[in-house]
Amino acid sequence: MWRRSLSTSYYRCFGCRSSGPKVLWKSQAVRTCSAPALPAGRITPLQAVKLWKRRFEERGVTEPEQSSQYIIAHLLGAKTIESLEQERLTEFLSREQTEQIWKLCTTRLSRMPVQYVIEEWDFRDLTLKMRPPVFIPRPETEELVELVLNDLQMKTEMGVPAETEPTCLEVGCGSGAISLSLLKSLPQLKGVTLDQSQDAVDLTRENALRLGLEDRLEIHHIDVMKDAETLLSLIRPVTTLVSNPPYLFSEDMASLEPEILSVCFCCVLLPRFEDPAALDGGEDGLKVIKQILTLAPQILSSYGRAYLEVDPRHPPLIRQWVEGNVDGLQFKEARHDITGRPRFCILQKEEVKQGPQAGSGLRN
Amino acid sequence: MLVRRCLRLCSLCTRVVYSSGVRRGGWRTLVGHASVKHANRTDVPHWGRVMFKRFFHSDLGELYKNESVQVYLEQLMEEHRDLSKKLQHAYLSESDRKGLTKKHTELLPLASVFRSIEQAQKDLEEVSSLLKGLAGTKDEDEDLTQLLKEEEAQISSKILALRRDVRTQKTQLINAEVCDGPLFLHEVFSLPQLIKALIPTDPLDSSNVLLEVVSGRTTGGDICQQFTKEMFDMYQGFAFYKNWDFEVLNYTPAEYGGLHHAAARIAGENVYRHLKHEGGTHRVQRIPEVGLSSRMQRIHTGTVTVIILPQPVEFEVHIDPKDLRIDTFRSRGPGGQSVNTTDSAVRVVHLPTGITAECQQTRSQLQNRETAMRMLRARLYQGMMGKETEQRNTARKQQVGTRSQSERIRTYNFSQDRVTDHRTGYTTRDIKEFMRGGEALDDLISDILEHTEKEALLEAAENSSSLKRTESGPSAD
Repeated sequence: MWRRSLSTSYYRCFGCRSSGPKVLWKSQAVRTCSAPALPAGRITPLQAVKLWKRRFEERGVTEPEQSSQYIIAHLLGAKTIESLEQERLTEFLSREQTEQIWKLCTTRLSRMPVQYVIEEWDFRDLTLKMRPPVFIPRPETEELVELVLNDLQMKTEMGVPAETEPTCLEVGCGSGAISLSLLKSLPQLKGVTLDQSQDAVDLTRENALRLGLEDRLEIHHIDVMKDAETLLSLIRPVTTLVSNPPYLFSEDMASLEPEILSVCFCCVLLPRFEDPAALDGGEDGLKVIKQILTLAPQILSSYGRAYLEVDPRHPPLIRQWVEGNVDGLQFKEARHDITGRPRFCILQKEEVKQGPQAGSGLRN
Repeated sequence: MLVRRCLRLCSLCTRVVYSSGVRRGGWRTLVGHASVKHANRTDVPHWGRVMFKRFFHSDLGELYKNESVQVYLEQLMEEHRDLSKKLQHAYLSESDRKGLTKKHTELLPLASVFRSIEQAQKDLEEVSSLLKGLAGTKDEDEDLTQLLKEEEAQISSKILALRRDVRTQKTQLINAEVCDGPLFLHEVFSLPQLIKALIPTDPLDSSNVLLEVVSGRTTGGDICQQFTKEMFDMYQGFAFYKNWDFEVLNYTPAEYGGLHHAAARIAGENVYRHLKHEGGTHRVQRIPEVGLSSRMQRIHTGTVTVIILPQPVEFEVHIDPKDLRIDTFRSRGPGGQSVNTTDSAVRVVHLPTGITAECQQTRSQLQNRETAMRMLRARLYQGMMGKETEQRNTARKQQVGTRSQSERIRTYNFSQDRVTDHRTGYTTRDIKEFMRGGEALDDLISDILEHTEKEALLEAAENSSSLKRTESGPSAD
């Protein structure tokens, strides 16, 4: 697996899939590679959408219509093309606007995800800034947040005494989606989040500031695999532990869509968009998960809960493993996502059962 | 002479319209519909025909005179009196008291209007008898003038008070028969209020709605899609005019610039009451802008289907998650971290009924799902309610607002610049203004509401009186 770190100014492609069998060895940014010429006359947004949709189709770019629509809508200051009035869509674009559209759409030709092209995306009710190589939030993770919120809601309804200061720890913040969502929905909540990637930490900080949530969120640059001790020393026990850790099986990494891992046949170096470290969970996909769960009893307060997003094959494996390997942590249940796949695991910190030889009191 | 004085009397209170019958001398009872706006144009009362924009409908006066309605009214007043007595004197349990008080409060507005009518009636009787007495005397002018002045003051203030309570009602323009008609001036002014209080309310009236427009088919190019867009804009304009909240849930444009289908959630005061009769097939007749027909100036006909669903309060519709299948882009592949996509469209299928709802309005899949669920709830609710409304339908009601889907309820003719509602016959011009969704549309809707509410009242009155008859039958000893 290639593990080159990326510079912040995207990537470099030493060739590209251009039309025909010609192989190009050019050392230049893809965005100028095979850049379609600007139109001679003026065009309207609707015409631009059609033009680029066709172009994306020709080049085999996935979701050609959506890509074209989202990029152009974004340039016109809207989130979706539907939210723009007809007048706007049939009004001629200025030269600058047209140039901008061409620039961004050409970037999309290189299979860069749309979220990176327009540098933002929505997660639940938030709009977050996106930047490669920081992991782009997936829709399933919206459900993870929903799960946590519902659970916490139920707790208050059942009359469980509310924590004077409910706290939450997130492992692997990425763009900050999970933590910021929770903070936005629960004004009382205070959060701590960490990531092994400095880029992720920076982006989360930026998003927190943009949303005005920076005073309730601590962000740390920590690798949970290597710096467990540092982590434990930094925090006090929390009520909620949440994570969308890298959980893909290593063997599955190779078959990912080009948007994630772009393979260019005429290339020596691979351009990539999303950080593979945010995806690869080792041979069984459980590498990071196991580490998190090992630390969970020390992170969580009594009866605190851990919520994880995992691969559909994981829940039974995790249950089995936790029962045999982690004292004080009980596997509560697995929940499905809306496509019906077991996607989420909920575990709870219990009081440690006293073994026959145990003379000491309850371990925390 | 007498006539002219009464004329002045009337004109102070309201604008009066005369029928052509006046030419033949004397007064003729005529109650017609016209909005105050139209009356503005015929400000100065004059003899002669006045053109109405709408056709004459049966009047509120006749409604009032209707025997069933009278009986119904009497019954309600009696009930109110009983309740008042009970609440004051009788010993009641807590729950009984609650129930009776509720009923009492419901009848209260009716009772107060009725009382004010009775009072006004008495007053007017006095005035008219005085006028009668003075007719033909020499001092007629002076005394009459003085009396009239007093009366004017009284009547004006009373009417102002009564009017304040009448909301967006059309003021009834009438010629009152002062001499021997049973219909007195004051009575008539309070009639809208009275009738309003009598009309059985639809419990769904205050709900918010889910509005959908779907383009139909036509041979005339894209007139349907174009018109669908204009219709959607019109309802958006109407929502703005009424100060309602208009939230677009779904907007699917058509190929060449029109709209294929769209959905919106409209929230506000009494939205359903106003929009419930908008559901159905609307027909458009116009010359398409492109194509052969346009050059030949040939008119084409197209249709747009409007669907109005009352939006229930969330907890009323219970949906078991097991009964749902949710389709997304991610359902097809492995999902999760392995796929990145911008396709956040969601489709929800309710398996037991087959009802579906979809949404791709936002970039967040979760938000799209929530919107789709809301739409599904509304559709399920409509399905549930559909059976009930079927039972409520009577032959009378079928005249207004319940035509089958395939029958067009309204025609918009652009070439002739007119809009006609086929249930009531209401016609209006200036289609461009109409499509703005402002007062013109409001007028049409008010007209339909008057019709349907009148029907509902008559039905309730008849049901109630027939009930009484059956009750009193066996118990009569």
